[in-house]
Amino acid sequence: MNTMTGARLPATLNDLFLFAMMLTMAAILTTAMILQFYGGEIPCPLCLLQRVAMFGVCFGIILHFRHGYSARNAGFSMLFALFLLIVSVRQTLLDIYPRPGHSYIGSTVLGLHMPVWSVVIAVAILLAFAIKLAVLGGDVCAIHNPFRRLAALPGCLAFT
Amino acid sequence: MMLAVFATMSLALLAGYYGPRWFAVLSMLVCLALSIGLFLFEIYSPEYGFGMPWLQVQLDVVPHVWSRGGHS
Repeated sequence: MNTMTGARLPATLNDLFLFAMMLTMAAILTTAMILQFYGGEIPCPLCLLQRVAMFGVCFGIILHFRHGYSARNAGFSMLFALFLLIVSVRQTLLDIYPRPGHSYIGSTVLGLHMPVWSVVIAVAILLAFAIKLAVLGGDVCAIHNPFRRLAALPGCLAFT
Repeated sequence: MMLAVFATMSLALLAGYYGPRWFAVLSMLVCLALSIGLFLFEIYSPEYGFGMPWLQVQLDVVPHVWSRGGHS
């Protein structure tokens, strides 16, 4: 493996990782829309807030592909993932005890209702970002963008 | 309120594609602030708030452990 390939590998893995995350979130949101419009399952306000939070996670990834790598984008996504976790845990606790007028909204998917799935999704997102930052690190932009190194060249020449 | 949340979210998406980055991020942060406000409203509103009566936060009977003059 030459140096160029070794330098580009973490950035490519980072892009693939984020792209897979964005596709997964888009699939989840599309499934929710299908259940709403074709299944007739009207979402509650907390369900809508969870969709907003999922879109916020996607928005951080969109910023990465649109404007380049920045650790701020990952932080942005993690912020919305935390919001998703708080809202979904709240809704899960709200309906965890069956009583009149309060039950989980919608049908189950693989035995779990949507708020419980949102808890799983939020934890998975936070775990995925933690693993990505632990394995790939937060400085893949310096490896990926060769112009950034060229931009630092005049400064290096000034000290020699 | 929910309309404002989704409007700012749509604005952030449009600004992400056609506008400057700072405006997209600002719109999404406004969306997050509105979402948090709506979430807190859902929790604390006496009309629309969601109670969780199985979470016991008060004691039904206050125990009178020291009513007989304490230990001896």
